[in-house]
Amino acid sequence: MISFDYSDKAVLVTGAGRGLGLAIARAFHEAGAIVFVNDRTAEMVASAMAKLGGGDRLIAAPADLATAAGARKAVAPALAQGALDILVNNAAVNIERGIEETSDDLWAIHLAVNLKAPFFTVQAALPLLAKSQGLVINVASELGLHAIPNNVAYVAAKHGLVTMSKAMAIELAPQGVRVNAICPGTMDTELMADCARDSGDPENYYRSFRAYHPLGRIASPDEIAQFVLCLASPAAAFMTGSAVAIDGGSTAGRV
Amino acid sequence: MRRVLTTGSSRGIGLAIARRFARVGDEALVHGVTHAAALGALSKIDGKAQAFGADLSKPEQIEKLVSDVGEIDVLVNCAGIYEDMPFATATEADWDRTIAVNTTAPWLLARGFLASLRKRKGVIVNIGSDAGVLGYAGCVAYCASKGAIIGLTKALAVELAPEVRALCVCPGPVATDMMEQSVMKAADPEAERLRWASFPHMKRIADPAEIAEAVIFAASPDCGFATGSVIMVDGGVTAGKRV
Ligand SMILES: NC(=O)c1ccc[n+]([C@@H]2O[C@H](COP(=O)([O-])OP(=O)(O)OC[C@H]3O[C@@H](n4cnc5c(N)ncnc54)[C@H](O)[C@@H]3O)[C@@H](O)[C@H]2O)c1
Repeated sequence: MISFDYSDKAVLVTGAGRGLGLAIARAFHEAGAIVFVNDRTAEMVASAMAKLGGGDRLIAAPADLATAAGARKAVAPALAQGALDILVNNAAVNIERGIEETSDDLWAIHLAVNLKAPFFTVQAALPLLAKSQGLVINVASELGLHAIPNNVAYVAAKHGLVTMSKAMAIELAPQGVRVNAICPGTMDTELMADCARDSGDPENYYRSFRAYHPLGRIASPDEIAQFVLCLASPAAAFMTGSAVAIDGGSTAGRV
Repeated sequence: MRRVLTTGSSRGIGLAIARRFARVGDEALVHGVTHAAALGALSKIDGKAQAFGADLSKPEQIEKLVSDVGEIDVLVNCAGIYEDMPFATATEADWDRTIAVNTTAPWLLARGFLASLRKRKGVIVNIGSDAGVLGYAGCVAYCASKGAIIGLTKALAVELAPEVRALCVCPGPVATDMMEQSVMKAADPEAERLRWASFPHMKRIADPAEIAEAVIFAASPDCGFATGSVIMVDGGVTAGKRV
């Protein structure tokens, strides 16, 4: 594993209560960063901070990202500290349903958390990011690049997030703020476990998603978190407006 | 004779699309924000046509539109809004308006008409934008909404094949009221018009009829193997740029 030094950096990770978000928060924290930990409730944030080992480089930033006000609230602790170098928009909902079963509310929550929240967290964080010449990493998905059936709201929102990242990159480039998106394939997180349970046949769900990726496996959240640290490092300083697939080859073609 | 609903067809690209369908003998179901606006467009259409009004930012009006229109063979989601919106100052209401009309309405209409589209082996043609593929400054929410409609198109395509096809036609700059409003707001409108005409490699702004031609093809049986396609009609804008 590459070792990174983020010891003078402040990082906000949304949806860091579990899954990839928690892995990203851990990786930055272990690399010395100050980490603002967001999830929907104060309890979820407290339990995540305990899992991360506590300490004064962890700052709670609980907020429900379903509204613009919630997105601003998630950024408030960073504004209070007056420092933010890296904003990782990771929080998302993913409830897989067919077209007819996708209710108005289900559509709305996907568009709110997965697409609208990143708009307003970046907007709120902009003064800090401009000051630090910082960067945004939006966690999209391979489903921001292509589609699968029975996930229409998620696919639409993640495609929107990919294009939105490019638009932010163009608009914020003159201020020296960079914006990139990552498009992970399937990861072994609690979300995956939820979806597997929801499908009614978890074993088959895992088997088919392994086979779906040309590399024949699903990713671990820790390996994707490592990639996020690469992207946030000076090695990627010339990158902005990119949407990078890290998907075991699934958007490249078929086996 | 197919029944073709084109949203936002009281003017602009939508009107050109409705006219074009009527010309090949299809029934044009013309939609405007108000019934009066749609009625006003009927005189510009040669052939069988009917007018419908609905404010697509309001889900209950969308529901009513679906039941008023009845069964259709082709749904063209053309209605859309563009507003200059500096990222730093855009409000939640600004965001909600853009997403409601440009992304959520096409989704609600696709879902609403799904039964008849399945039964009639229909086609959904969404109107995207070069801004659904490329990022532009000053319209981050618009880019997000158009990126999302491209994703919506692909999701509909993979789930509804082989019964229903879904495609997305993405225009670059087109001479419509939408463009005119944005041009007239500029400090020097003539310079702004020239700027729009100079950035596509084709060195001009498109005529709405040229977009309609792509939509007609997308919806035709001649295009029957294409689904999930994103058809760029953008004067080359997304192909690359000059140094
Ligand atoms: N797991 C996968 O296979 C996969 C694949 C591609 C992309 N992704 C993306 O990776 C990211 C992380 O996914 P994950 O698998 O870790 O999911 P997860 O469900 O395990 O974690 C998501 C986190 O976001 C939080 N969240 C949800 N709604 C929120 C709200 N309204 N306010 C605040 N926080 C909220 C959840 O509480 C949770 O802690 C998401 O953006 C997801 O779309 C996941």
